[in-house]
Amino acid sequence: MKLLGRLARFAIQLAAAGLLSSSGSAYAQDLPVRPLTWAGGRVTLGGDASLTFSCSDAPTPGTCGEDTGFFNYSDYELSTLRMLRIDMKAAVRPSAHLALVGEVRSENGEGVHAYALYVGLRPWQDKAFEIEAGRVPPTFGAFAQRTYANDNILIGYPLSYQYLTSIRPDAVPANADELLAMRGRGWLAHYSLGNTTPDRGTPIDSAFRWDTGVAVRSKTSWAEVTASVTTGTLGNPLVADDNAGKQLSGRVAFHPVPGLIVGASGARGPFLTRDAARSAGMTSTNDSVQSALGADVEYSRDYYLLRVEAIRSDWTLPTINVPLTSLGITAEGRYRFTPRLYAAARYDHMGFSTIAGTTRVTSWDAPVTRAEAGGGYLVTRNLQLKSSVQLNQRDGGRVTHLMLWAAQAVFWF
Amino acid sequence: MTRVLSATALVATFALIGTPPPQAARAGSIRGRVDLHRVAPAFERRPGSSDVGPPLLDRDLPDRMKSVVYLESAPRGAFDQPDPARAVMDQRNETFVPHVLAITAGTTVDFPNSDRIYHNVFSLSKTKSFDLGRYAVGRSKAIRFDRPGIVRVFCDIHSHMNAFILVFSHPFYAMTDTEGRYRIDDVPPGAYSVVAWNEGLASDPKPVTVADGATTELDFSLR
Repeated sequence: MKLLGRLARFAIQLAAAGLLSSSGSAYAQDLPVRPLTWAGGRVTLGGDASLTFSCSDAPTPGTCGEDTGFFNYSDYELSTLRMLRIDMKAAVRPSAHLALVGEVRSENGEGVHAYALYVGLRPWQDKAFEIEAGRVPPTFGAFAQRTYANDNILIGYPLSYQYLTSIRPDAVPANADELLAMRGRGWLAHYSLGNTTPDRGTPIDSAFRWDTGVAVRSKTSWAEVTASVTTGTLGNPLVADDNAGKQLSGRVAFHPVPGLIVGASGARGPFLTRDAARSAGMTSTNDSVQSALGADVEYSRDYYLLRVEAIRSDWTLPTINVPLTSLGITAEGRYRFTPRLYAAARYDHMGFSTIAGTTRVTSWDAPVTRAEAGGGYLVTRNLQLKSSVQLNQRDGGRVTHLMLWAAQAVFWF
Repeated sequence: MTRVLSATALVATFALIGTPPPQAARAGSIRGRVDLHRVAPAFERRPGSSDVGPPLLDRDLPDRMKSVVYLESAPRGAFDQPDPARAVMDQRNETFVPHVLAITAGTTVDFPNSDRIYHNVFSLSKTKSFDLGRYAVGRSKAIRFDRPGIVRVFCDIHSHMNAFILVFSHPFYAMTDTEGRYRIDDVPPGAYSVVAWNEGLASDPKPVTVADGATTELDFSLR
């Protein structure tokens, strides 16, 4: 019943979007097929709605099981494979030098949240150089640059951008044993220092929130450079600062030949909150940092697209005497058979460095491997149906193997 | 009163409603002006990063001011077009050039890429569904359009790129200039219905009679 209510709200919102379209489209009776514009194009409104449902290989035959292993959760309560997401994004450009961009997002009908809100400044009209301030788009990694649901060739997210590790910014394990006890429990981890209430851990690089700060972007025909100073970290983007520390992040991407993109990213910033650091005996949060390096390659030609991305992240904790390293590797590809139909596949692995507890030496979180294969069908240019099957395997936690079948409808304008 | 032009309207041109010309008759012309009350806006980029800069609405504005005027019913013998034609729709500065292309069925259209970035031309139109894949600057791919109708053309990589290809089963059509003026020549004498089209909207058919060797005036108002 709860899902039906959400679907009803979704239908109402889509209908509202259709009515709105009358101001920008020649076909008032249709849903919009392109961003709506007003004031000579100075105000633009775009939207993105996706409805995703999935079933796991439940132990009871004939039933549709949930993701009992929390492999696809963005936090304890939100599965990215059972979600109704509606995004509205607007840009106001009062002049050729200035833009105000905002995005609001609703997930499963539970309130509307600001996802992005920033001012963009282009000092020179003839140069592709921009300064952005506010809740700004990510400057690290390749997948993070693809903001729309239809940019994702499959339904699930790459592990590096979604899978919750057991690291928490507001809680600290007292020792290695406490951390090892949370292997495979990133969806609801708890520690004895800092905030002791069970809560979600952080991914390496969150695809679900944008950070707040200042970013610069510049591009030429053969390269793009982005850099930012923000309040949060890759895994824990913030609106309000919680530790007086700043993260430096950046990416360089080269386009040596058409179709080939080679990128490298880096980021470093303190991630523990003041309270968590204090409870762990630290006087400054600056000694507890998340630092990350990323590399990505994309090649496309004719009807195929190939991407590989690797991100290494190191967290330093005051109570663990070695850096906690995580390495996420993603490889994905797509082949388009007809104008409407394509097939895609992704392989993901996330590994963790080894630490020594009292009774065992093992990785500080449970390594995860995910393989997903499926495809998409374009019903219309801006309405896409996707379907995929996903295999998850984890070396720890309560659920170590899980297969999921997922379907998704994506509408955008 | 305008109506949406459907592919069936163009297909209907196969119906030979036009009055057959006498053997010694001289062809006439139809000319006039299409008055656009409002120019259709260009597709904007989807809001996102790199949003600073001028709006795209001025992009291909002259092209969007051009309309297509065509005979809804064609004269007998109009379909005897043995010579295969060739046309070009370029991809330049993330824009299809021209934005509207009017061709006769059987024409092959080349889609060269003149940008340093990839483009991926595709269409899901019932008249002609195709996907040319991604290709780089200097390369070109071609598609032959055999069925009359309207083809919406897009780029899979750049959502703001779009164009129209109008495929006719006869040669009695004309593009207007940016001021809306048009002229259809070599029309055999007879009674016809004429339609004006702009950016997906078509006028109601207007009846016109072309006299022997004469030029007939016919104006339209759209939007």
